[in-house]
Amino acid sequence: MKAVEAEIDERALIAAAQRDPRCFAELYENNFDRVYAFVASRVFDRTEAEDLTAEVFHHALAKLSQFEWQGAPFIAWLLRIASNAIADRWRRNARRPEVADDGLDDPGAEDAIEQRVILAQLLENLPVDQKLVIERRFLEQRSIREIALELNRSEGAIKQLQFRALESLRNRMGEKL
Amino acid sequence: MSSSALYEQLDTTLEASFQRQAIDEGQLDPAVQELAALASELRHLPNPKFRERLRQELLNEVQRLDAPTSQPKSPRPALVAISGGAAKHVVEEPILPTLFGAGYGNYPVRQSNFLISAAVHAAAIALVVASSVWIARHPEQVKQQVISLISPGEYSLPAAKTKAGGGGGGGDRDRLEASKGSAPRFAPDQITPPAIVIRNDNPKLAAEPTAVGPPDIKLPQTATLGDPLSRVLAASNGTGAGSGIGSGEGTGIGAGSGPGMGPGRGGGLGGGVYRVGGGVSAPRVISDPDPEYSEEARQAKYQGTVVLWVVIGADGKPRDVRVQRALGMGLDEKAIEAVRNWRFHPAMKDGQPVAVQVNIEVNFRLY
Repeated sequence: MKAVEAEIDERALIAAAQRDPRCFAELYENNFDRVYAFVASRVFDRTEAEDLTAEVFHHALAKLSQFEWQGAPFIAWLLRIASNAIADRWRRNARRPEVADDGLDDPGAEDAIEQRVILAQLLENLPVDQKLVIERRFLEQRSIREIALELNRSEGAIKQLQFRALESLRNRMGEKL
Repeated sequence: MSSSALYEQLDTTLEASFQRQAIDEGQLDPAVQELAALASELRHLPNPKFRERLRQELLNEVQRLDAPTSQPKSPRPALVAISGGAAKHVVEEPILPTLFGAGYGNYPVRQSNFLISAAVHAAAIALVVASSVWIARHPEQVKQQVISLISPGEYSLPAAKTKAGGGGGGGDRDRLEASKGSAPRFAPDQITPPAIVIRNDNPKLAAEPTAVGPPDIKLPQTATLGDPLSRVLAASNGTGAGSGIGSGEGTGIGAGSGPGMGPGRGGGLGGGVYRVGGGVSAPRVISDPDPEYSEEARQAKYQGTVVLWVVIGADGKPRDVRVQRALGMGLDEKAIEAVRNWRFHPAMKDGQPVAVQVNIEVNFRLY
């Protein structure tokens, strides 16, 4: 039932966004983590992953009026755009030969993406100070010293927060998976 | 290991990982190993600042797109309160959306696909219905073949230069050969067989003795009946049997059998029948209605072949249809009944239609 309700909600959101693009914001929030995780699992470079993710959502917004609901979730359409964007970029950069398999149907890849989506959601639920340390340390790749200076805490305290935050995430991941 | 030592070991491990330096995992605390693995996953999560920046970019783009059209083309979906207190979008669910091109699955559905599918289904249904009707009307198909088999037969035929048909014979088992004399008149029917020695001097109903044959054949007549081919003068009906004259059997004259005259069989004059070949062409079927299956044979699912002995007349009509190889279960009668209604282009000899004898196989098969 939940899946059916979610589908109806998503269809309603898409229909609303097609009539009024301002509603696209909700589609963006609902799908950002998955799109980013999909792109990041293929390009391994944060800057490039961000560029491609931005490209996917800009393209989706521009072409939203052409989207037709065919039973598949909206994320499938976004991932198809992402896959094409990655392939285009590889072709342009001539970094590797043309991609035969976009990995969309690989269950292992889907699991990895889902795991990162869960991790991103769990991160949002961490206590504020722990979340801040994790974001600074791993997402912005700052050093312990820089974080300690910003938060006006000792390096030891930051290391402790880092440990506790990771421990908490590990435990919650265990519960989710 | 103390807590502070664990914090330190974890941070050292993470820093080495950031710098892509090798780590001796065997020296690490198991908890640190797990957390380091999780930390490597965290590095692939999106930066919240990027997320917010992209959101803002999209909003700006939306505003830019929205600017020229201040009025939406159609009203926004209504927001209604649901029991949980959250707002829920309500859209009208289309009835059978796939009929109008919207489909389920990852691939677009085209209306032409529906048309093709409908046409194929309609054709399939029509085929099934037509097959059912045909089967209902044709519970079994009877297949017959016409095969002309050359075999000796008997029938009265006019005399021919080289080969004639018909014949007859008779006699009353006298010790003497039949005596010489003239043949009786030919007639289509025979009431009284010819006889030289009259055994019944006072018949209750006297009738002219005749031989069965074409009435238009006129042979020299003398006062005395007898076998024209005999040289015996002493009065005798002959050594044959059957009340005629001669050494054969039957009520005719001669060495044959039957009511005709000559060494052949049956009525007529001569020594045999026309057969296909030797200047005589085969008759050709013009019309051959299917024979019916007898109910008895149908229920028993009985199959086989009936061989009929048939004379195809100069008029193309079958005559003297007889069963040469029977099948039984009523199929012989059905075969005769059908073949009687067949029509042929007659056999030809010297440009003239002639009667010939053929054998006809009628195959009965259930399908």
